[in-house]
Amino acid sequence: MFRAILYSQWKWSRLIVALGTVAAFVLPLVSLQGAARADRSPLEAAALLHAVQSWGTLYPLLATALGLLVAIATWAPDHRGRHIHALTLPLPRWRYVLLRFAAGATVLAGPILGIAVGALIAIAAATLPPGLHGYPVALALRFGLAVLVAYSLFFAVSAGTARTAGLILGLVAAVIVIQVFASVANLEFSVVDRLQIILVNWPGPLAVFTGRWMLIDV
Amino acid sequence: MFDRRLVAFASLLLAARALPAQDTTVARLRHRADSLAIEWRRANVLALIADSLERERAIGGRDTVAVGALRIVINRSPLAVREAAVQAWPLIDSLYGTAAQSLVTRPYFIQAVDPDTTVRRRVLRVGTEVPWNLSVQDLTSLLLVNVPIPPPDRAFGDWLGGPVRPRLEAKAVAGRVYVRLVIAPSQAARSCFLGDLTGCRSALDLDDAEDAFLKWYPTALERRVALQRSFADYFNRPATAGSWNRCTRGDDNACIQLLRSIPHHAIPQPLDLEGRRLLVYAALRLGGRGAYVRLLADSNAAMSNRLASAAGVGLDTLLYDWRREIIAARPAAVTIPPWGAFIAFGWIVLLAGCALTSSRWRVT
Repeated sequence: MFRAILYSQWKWSRLIVALGTVAAFVLPLVSLQGAARADRSPLEAAALLHAVQSWGTLYPLLATALGLLVAIATWAPDHRGRHIHALTLPLPRWRYVLLRFAAGATVLAGPILGIAVGALIAIAAATLPPGLHGYPVALALRFGLAVLVAYSLFFAVSAGTARTAGLILGLVAAVIVIQVFASVANLEFSVVDRLQIILVNWPGPLAVFTGRWMLIDV
Repeated sequence: MFDRRLVAFASLLLAARALPAQDTTVARLRHRADSLAIEWRRANVLALIADSLERERAIGGRDTVAVGALRIVINRSPLAVREAAVQAWPLIDSLYGTAAQSLVTRPYFIQAVDPDTTVRRRVLRVGTEVPWNLSVQDLTSLLLVNVPIPPPDRAFGDWLGGPVRPRLEAKAVAGRVYVRLVIAPSQAARSCFLGDLTGCRSALDLDDAEDAFLKWYPTALERRVALQRSFADYFNRPATAGSWNRCTRGDDNACIQLLRSIPHHAIPQPLDLEGRRLLVYAALRLGGRGAYVRLLADSNAAMSNRLASAAGVGLDTLLYDWRREIIAARPAAVTIPPWGAFIAFGWIVLLAGCALTSSRWRVT
């Protein structure tokens, strides 16, 4: 059963996965451009770190985009067919959802491997100034976790009913309204800031996306 | 033809008329300078009287909190000043050692104020205004960064960029110096990072050399880069454009000439002042309670000798200790904490669980 679902998942999302894998493979190589040159000046350690940090902003974006697109691709055919195919299968719903989730997570292994291989090659090819070290495994691990968190989040939202989506949207709207009223009333109370702190700091769900994504560092 | 005797006579006459005039001008200027000096003395006396009166006003009706040699003159308020002083004193005492006893005669003046009122307060010209709900930790930091210790001599103050203050965030500062050692565009900083103490000495500007920048930036490329990064706008103007263009085209002599025209302290140095402060802390730590007094004892001595004297060890030993502290403070480069992976995995499981409980298939 898993093989059949994985095959259908691959068919639906192969373009996204292929493009994502290429992007993930290329990104570490591009971020270390110039570091492999023999004539690179030894004075450029700061510039190198700066470039790596700038390119590093693309890792969480790529992870989010991959998670979102694969999650949408996972559920889109079911939504279009009004879940009739799924209902005809001799499976309880929880098992079907689990298989779908596992299939989506499996195809995401491609981009994660892409980034790991790209990072390892980039570090092996680069001549790093003394004091700087490469962290290809840590970066790939973090990227993997970020992709899976994004995928899980969008998978859960996509699997929900229109009512669930409405509830989530209503919650977001309520937060915005409260914030607007707090601002109008000149209260020193920021719901958005507090939510942001909760979400993007450890142990928040989005903490894995924040901070510096450095392929090389001190 | 003029008679030469006539010319000489006329010259004598002119000189005789000019000399009293010159004498009068000098006398007038001298008189003016004297009167300015008198005014300055008067103003100084008035300023001292005003200062003294302000101090009396600041002390009047106040309590004095004494912890160790710290004296804090403060108005009555709920501000936890004693608790803060108890926390601050050991740090101050351990840093300045015997010199900290001079604080008995140099009190803090603190005016605790109500943070919630808009009532106009009297102007305070002596001391610091502090809201009385300030936390003990913040108040401790305030006491530490404003220690009323006498300022150091000018040579030391210039080298350190200010007076010696107790350390507040030791590990973070050492971490920043570590990063600076790695990324500084200077051979001296890099060789210091790799363990060469001569490089450390140069990077910390302890060589007392005339052209110290030649040691900070020993290669032509480094010198050119240092100039291009910090002085491109300054030198690329008509007066220096020739030298500047030669320098940017690779003429090292032109670069050296330009660097020589900049004051010593204006040339970007391999390490910033935080590195020097850590070195002073290391010297005071090694030197014991008399270290601070020894550090400031001879203001004419070379900085390297003063530091070695304060530490009570050779400069190389001091630099070794300093470098070891910095290398040990290497900032953590791992992008997520060790338990972060488990937390992220937990969120993945939780969100997948949310998807399992969805009610989309409910038949109505």
